[in-house]
Amino acid sequence: MASPILQVKDLQTQFRTHDGIVRAVDGVTFDLYHGESLGIVGESGSGKSMTALSLLRLVPDPGKVVGGRVLFRNQDLLQVTDEEIREIRGRDIAMIFQDPQSSLNPVLQTGFQIAEAMLAHKMASKTQARQRTIELLKRVRIPAAESRVKDFPHQLSGGMRQRAMIAMGLANAPSVLIADEPTTALDVTVQAQILELLGDLNQELGTAIIMITHNMGVVAGLCTRVLVMYAGKIVEQGPVDEIFDRPQHPYTWSLLKSIPRVDALRHERLRSIEGIAPDLLRPPAGCRFHPRCPFRIEKCFTDEPELKEIKPNQFASCWVTMDRARAEMGADQLLDIRPGAASGLEPGKLVD
Amino acid sequence: MAATAAAVVTRPIAPEQASLWSDAWRRLRRNRLALAGVVYLTFLVVVALVALIHTPYPTYEVGVGIPYQGPGGQHWLGVDALGRDTLSRLMAGAQISLIVGVGTQIVVLAIGVPIGLAAGYFRGWFDQVVTFIINLFYGIPDLLVALILVFLLGPNLTNIIIAIAVTRWMDMARLVRGQTLSLREREFIEAARASGAKPSKILFGHILPNALGPIIIQATFGVPAAILFEAFLSFLGLGVPPPTPTWGSMAAEGIVTIRIAPAMVIAPSIALSLTLMAFNFLGDGLRDALDPRQRR
Repeated sequence: MASPILQVKDLQTQFRTHDGIVRAVDGVTFDLYHGESLGIVGESGSGKSMTALSLLRLVPDPGKVVGGRVLFRNQDLLQVTDEEIREIRGRDIAMIFQDPQSSLNPVLQTGFQIAEAMLAHKMASKTQARQRTIELLKRVRIPAAESRVKDFPHQLSGGMRQRAMIAMGLANAPSVLIADEPTTALDVTVQAQILELLGDLNQELGTAIIMITHNMGVVAGLCTRVLVMYAGKIVEQGPVDEIFDRPQHPYTWSLLKSIPRVDALRHERLRSIEGIAPDLLRPPAGCRFHPRCPFRIEKCFTDEPELKEIKPNQFASCWVTMDRARAEMGADQLLDIRPGAASGLEPGKLVD
Repeated sequence: MAATAAAVVTRPIAPEQASLWSDAWRRLRRNRLALAGVVYLTFLVVVALVALIHTPYPTYEVGVGIPYQGPGGQHWLGVDALGRDTLSRLMAGAQISLIVGVGTQIVVLAIGVPIGLAAGYFRGWFDQVVTFIINLFYGIPDLLVALILVFLLGPNLTNIIIAIAVTRWMDMARLVRGQTLSLREREFIEAARASGAKPSKILFGHILPNALGPIIIQATFGVPAAILFEAFLSFLGLGVPPPTPTWGSMAAEGIVTIRIAPAMVIAPSIALSLTLMAFNFLGDGLRDALDPRQRR
């Protein structure tokens, strides 16, 4: 945890649409350390995938990174030439995608595609690449790797395809691997295997992993540190244990509350977060979570909270924070989590 | 029990490599019309090759038979106005038709595919310019363009191929552009970009192989269109200049004397029709074979 390998500062990604500007990523700042496994969680549309794509300048049209800096090995990835960023993609920072079914080219042999990732960066000769492809497939635990290299993607199972994608991502031994919901399209047992594999690779190869997911369980299993994103902003960040034990932002708290529990009572309803994710064309004034927050106070409607250190290494952007909600309202016993349900806090009582 | 389990793991699970092409070939073989087309076209290619080294009579030699003589034992398809053997000339004409048909499509592919790929992938001003030029070419009558080009460049085989290709490249460019537009949004293209692939690699290594099916089909339908166009130019007297035998010019020579020597018109016309039909059947068969989802 010495020096960060990747520093993201005030990243801004916008989509210009006919109706106005959508701020998909709005001032995201974080560091990624050597060999670390960082989780980015949030609902659909919270900007987590866009953050990842912005790092490699892969934001699709009409989106554009309009501000901020992405520092990697003393250069700003947002300023380097197209040729330089192309060299960094896949060689230093690799990415694996959500749906292994559609992320592999259907008409090319799987092994060929992995070898190509190496050849694209002239990391190996053709024979070396072929050799290493088999090693990589073994490394990601694909059985009968020697014969599997010639298989087309449709001949592999979903789990095997994702393993092949991971092998492709690891082909050039990158220092950072961005995994964009790599387990979403897989069934639960395969999910567990893939996560275990990623964890092992993280440990053995020291590849830093950015894990993007909406699944808190995935984060708990793999990550050491978590960023929670909401409406294009980081609302909470900290070590995974702290975030799970004592979340400080009501949004994080709600996310954790909505994890289905194995020990739930038979007829207990699944918890969800009331309301819908905000329209990023017209984000709510004040705190962006306030329309859905059970603990909102007057100030939340008008003033936007900054991300501040609540406890050592744990940051949250909230006027109330869960410590206070627990102390004053018994938040953890709260059953009714509709917006404003627990807002017994008088505006005047707020000590600031 | 343990031994069997180990055997299952080490043995390749998919025994047969059912590639796209072997799959397509299997489906094509089941299509009788397409198969008939393949057989006929193979026959035609063999005839054209044989004509290189041997024809019943020398192709250009006049007076090998009595002019206007009908089909018979000595001359199976009769003799033309100058006393040349029609069968020999028909065989040599197959060369011209095949060269024009295939040659035109090679030029069309060489122009249309890169332009379509680039326009569909990079979009922006380049795409707008390409689309504009395509529409422009669609607006001008193709016969006029071909006639002017042949007139300017001079009537010989190469120039006729170029002239026909110039009037035919737009279909290919538009098809490839459309395919590229839809393929570029697919996730594996994003994945390829994320792994640092060069634009040229993405275009020719990832997008083109996925668009190959429609391209092959389009090219197969393009061949008979080009053959017909050449026959038409030759019929008008603007094709490959005489005495080189082409089906179009043979029909043109015969049309004046159709009442006394109908074989002179009928023979090249049937050869032309069969060839066009064969290519179209093959094209249909390929479409069904390469895109099984489109089949009812």
